[in-house]
Amino acid sequence: MGRTSARGRRNAVRVARTALGITQADLAGEIGVTRQTVIAVEAGDYAPSVYLALAIAGHLGCTVEQLFGEELDADRPGLSINQKASL
Amino acid sequence: MNAHENLENVDRDGWFVKAAATMGDLGNPFYREERQRDVWNEASAVGLQLVLWLGLGTAAAMVWLGGPPALPYAFAVFVVLGAASGVSLFYAHKLGVRMDGAGRVLRLRLVPYVVLLVLFFVGVVRAAPSSEFGVGLAWGAAVGGVVAVVSLVRSGLRAQRREQRGKV
Repeated sequence: MGRTSARGRRNAVRVARTALGITQADLAGEIGVTRQTVIAVEAGDYAPSVYLALAIAGHLGCTVEQLFGEELDADRPGLSINQKASL
Repeated sequence: MNAHENLENVDRDGWFVKAAATMGDLGNPFYREERQRDVWNEASAVGLQLVLWLGLGTAAAMVWLGGPPALPYAFAVFVVLGAASGVSLFYAHKLGVRMDGAGRVLRLRLVPYVVLLVLFFVGVVRAAPSSEFGVGLAWGAAVGGVVAVVSLVRSGLRAQRREQRGKV
């Protein structure tokens, strides 16, 4: 496994993005990466840099901890009702 | 040298790093997309390792199968491999990343490289022409290679001792 991989760690990017009705392509365009990168981040196949993580979190209205924190549970503060329901 | 000193010595504006960046086309917009950059870096590492394997194997095979006429060509392959490896290591060193740590050097996966190097240098000595110059050249290369391998292992052992002291 390559060093850029997030080793299958879960994150809430897909949940937060779909809750806001944003497509992967739109998010990719907003933060200046390719759609494949958004797909890889959501799948836990790529660990983004701190700057990319901040950009993703900023555009999704969350904090980096909410999206990529160690604990991924429905009680996570900061996520909307819909986002929590999706988790 | 510790990590702090490494960072103090980072020389991103030096001529070597600038020349290497130009050679590597690191200013290409492709590198601005971080996943593309990271994945390509991994792919390049795979490619470099493969070239080293194939190149060393080819050089060793040339001196064993081709005999004395193959020596100049085998040396050419070896010099090209050395230049590519050296530039990679020096570039990393200039940006504060040392590749001679125990975790990098003292690994079983390096054994095949050492075996290929030994095969190459033994083949060089064996295929050396009978002239005094040829024998001297072959022995010089062989001794230099052995010294390089021993130095590498010694630096790895020193790094291991440093790391062990650091854990205490």
